Amino acid sequence: MLLPELEAGIWLGAQPSGNYFLKEFGIDENLCRKLLAKALSKGGDFADLYFEFAVSNYLGLEDGKVNQSYGDISLGVGIRMVKGDQIGYGFTQELTEESMLSAATTASTLCNVNATPVAGSFSRPKAGNYYPVAADFNGIPAKTKLPLLQTINQKCFGLSTEVIKVNAGFSNTVKRMMIVTSDGVMAEDLIPSGFIYAGVVAERNGKREQSFWNLGGRRDFSYYTDNVINQVSTKAVNNALNLFDAIQPPAGEMPVVLGPGVTGILLHEAIGHGMEADFNRKNISTYSSMLGKKVAEPFITIIDDATNMNLAGSINIDDEGIPGKKTILVENGILTSYLHDRISAKHYGVEPTGNGRRQDFQNYPMPRMRNTYMLGGSATPDDVIRQAGNGIYVEDVSNGQVKIGEGDFAFYVSQGRMIENGKLTSPIKDVNIMGNGPKMLANITMAANDLEMYYGGAGQCGKNGQGMPVSFGLPTCLVKSMTVGGTQQKGGQS
Amino acid sequence: MNYKKDQQQEFRELAGWVIDQTRQSGANDCKVSISKRRFVEINYRDRKPEVIKEATTQGLYLEVFVDKKFSGKSTPDFRKSTLTGFITDLIDNARIMEEDPFRTLPDPKYYSGRSTGDLQLADPAQSQLSAEERHAMAKTVEDACLQEGKDKVISVEAGEYDETFEEFVITSNGFEGSNRTTVCWTGATMTAQDEGDRRPAGSHWIGCRYRDDLPSLEDIGKTAAKRTLDLMGGTKIATETLPVILENRGAARVLGGLFDPMSGGSIQQKRSFLADKKNQTIGSKLLTIQEDPFLIRGLGSRLYDSDGFPTRKRDLIIEGKLNEFLVDWYYSRKLDWEPTSGSITNLIIPPGTRSVDEIIKDLGRCILITDYIGGNSNSTTGDFSVGIIGKLFDKGQFVQNVAEMNIADNHLKFWNKLIEVANDPWQYSQARFPSLVIDGVVVAGI
Repeated sequence: MLLPELEAGIWLGAQPSGNYFLKEFGIDENLCRKLLAKALSKGGDFADLYFEFAVSNYLGLEDGKVNQSYGDISLGVGIRMVKGDQIGYGFTQELTEESMLSAATTASTLCNVNATPVAGSFSRPKAGNYYPVAADFNGIPAKTKLPLLQTINQKCFGLSTEVIKVNAGFSNTVKRMMIVTSDGVMAEDLIPSGFIYAGVVAERNGKREQSFWNLGGRRDFSYYTDNVINQVSTKAVNNALNLFDAIQPPAGEMPVVLGPGVTGILLHEAIGHGMEADFNRKNISTYSSMLGKKVAEPFITIIDDATNMNLAGSINIDDEGIPGKKTILVENGILTSYLHDRISAKHYGVEPTGNGRRQDFQNYPMPRMRNTYMLGGSATPDDVIRQAGNGIYVEDVSNGQVKIGEGDFAFYVSQGRMIENGKLTSPIKDVNIMGNGPKMLANITMAANDLEMYYGGAGQCGKNGQGMPVSFGLPTCLVKSMTVGGTQQKGGQS
Repeated sequence: MNYKKDQQQEFRELAGWVIDQTRQSGANDCKVSISKRRFVEINYRDRKPEVIKEATTQGLYLEVFVDKKFSGKSTPDFRKSTLTGFITDLIDNARIMEEDPFRTLPDPKYYSGRSTGDLQLADPAQSQLSAEERHAMAKTVEDACLQEGKDKVISVEAGEYDETFEEFVITSNGFEGSNRTTVCWTGATMTAQDEGDRRPAGSHWIGCRYRDDLPSLEDIGKTAAKRTLDLMGGTKIATETLPVILENRGAARVLGGLFDPMSGGSIQQKRSFLADKKNQTIGSKLLTIQEDPFLIRGLGSRLYDSDGFPTRKRDLIIEGKLNEFLVDWYYSRKLDWEPTSGSITNLIIPPGTRSVDEIIKDLGRCILITDYIGGNSNSTTGDFSVGIIGKLFDKGQFVQNVAEMNIADNHLKFWNKLIEVANDPWQYSQARFPSLVIDGVVVAGI
């Protein structure tokens, strides 16, 4: 079952950014052709130009006042030459012909053969629009954000007398990009992103606890309603208060139930990264020899999707000019595809999946996830918890990391509960769950019918030094055994 | 890259113009930072260049203070025609904000007393480094790693990265500082074939201000291979309470959980479990942490901090007692304390007398932790939890490699269990920590 917002977006032929780089910076087709020709002047399979203009703003509230304002402007072009799996890359912040030609020369240095021709004309691929904003959208004005942050402050303090500090922030970026490839693709996009958050510190009997929650994604201002403010404030306060009653579970292996939504980050980290094709073409992923093989129970289907409306990982067009699409990674338990950029797609002889993404013009693209989720099963959430018997229930996780080659991962459980005799009991806190991605996937023995996506905008996936907005989702599911870290051994020894 | 000799003068002239424009446009005060970075990156895989990347970036960051209101923004565009609009927009933005009487430029009296010593942070030879030399460095490291890894190698990625960074900072109330640094990194990451589908990856990357300070390239490549081979067969064992050794290069991953709670921001925002621990014992007598900003060629060395205050040597923790907080100008005003500097430069734990090998012989059953995965340290409660990878020893004898395991504790308990400091401070970091031995740690596994 897909939630309404997971349905495909409106199909449009053109993006709202139109010919932005032509109008604002005079980047026309002739200049692009000249730069691509320079990048390919010593040979290569293809070259591309990635133009970017992004404006980011952050407003912060502390001690009752919206008193922090920071911003950043990013402008430039990255020029890549690709030969096989080799990359020459130069970039410049100056969109002058001289500077750009110099960057193209840098990109060309990897080859030393005859020039490769550039396409005679450019066509604009048809792509969806999964984050529609007005054509003149230029970000969310600072004035409109102040009352939202002040409301968060009032709500958080109003929700509990135990709240002693509130922080709130509103971060948003408007990015315009244009990708031009030597084989004739020219595509532009206007990409909004951002989030609003609340962070609270609460105190009870001299003990303090803190919590944080955010909502956002690829949105304009219309998303940030009273309802969103309420959700962010309530979740931050309730999560902090829950921690006063939390215990640490005993350390060791036990059944783990992953709650719906944000726990999908485990799917992203522990499993999804291993399915990125660059790791596999280099044979350094634990999934390198698993294509076409059973990796999970037959009820499990995992999708990486660019087409969800307004989610943080949605993309109309990837950073290599491929329209955003949906990729089935695991279908009925069988590994069916990796996530490809152009280099890996050529390596495997398949079509690119639209996963070529980059942090900004200073970085070249590589296979990256978008919105990664597992479809729901037929059980109810209560069935799954009952089946676990004794273990832990994970509601919120963060700080995940995976070792790609081994598949080993660790996550910090910031919110959760004990499961005792098939029922949820005491809250738990400050523990890690450890495991091995492929083993965890194989050990998912039950999934509920409650797939939920993560609607936050603050999280960034990191890979090779590049941060990338993503989202994820999961139904409630049972992992029959994982290691839970703690300060007490089973049986009470500390 | 050949930096212009008059680069600092160019920066100074532009910054002066920005200060004038900003004040003329209505700001009471402002701070300008201008920087330029030039880097080259070369990576090799399968004995051929995989990535060649090279560029220069620049940035201008401006903070404005307008009638007790504040705003800051950065731009890469140094053209005066566009900076004029940038400045007025920023001032307009500040005017929208709510008043914050604590947000000001520092009192100029705190700017004085800066050391003028040469910390040797910029290698004059770096600008002479040729493309051929860079390729040769990466190839040498790759070759050594491949030879050491032998038939276990699935993949080796070796590389060279060098960077020259230059900044100029000026405030409207009298601070002026400049800094020029270089850094050169090289190393390799190797992936090996283990049993089944496990492909452990290990790496060894070393960075120095001066290229000549790098260890032998062959040793770097060999060490990358050895560290990878040391991961073979890693598996979890039964949950057990035993001593652990935090290897020197990674000790900051756990010890780092002490520094955020020592900051003025965390204390003022009531997110610090150390807020009431000044001059109190938070660790064993062996826990002493000093800060030395003046280490010659140090990766964290500098003469002024982010507020413009002169850096100074200081003792943060002395024999287990918390001696000094990290308080910047803004939070010093909110706390009504004296500022101490919120920035960290080079951190030092005085080394002990014995090597890790000698210590392991006396420890009985213990785990040497060589790497970490994920984890968190809660600044409010002091609780932390982190995944570990390492090697299990018994009475000095290697037993097996371990993986998929976890340690968790509270910092106030954990550092009181520090029972020995090894004699091996890690030189290639701003955290020059030796290996640290902690007794009685629950290591969670099966």
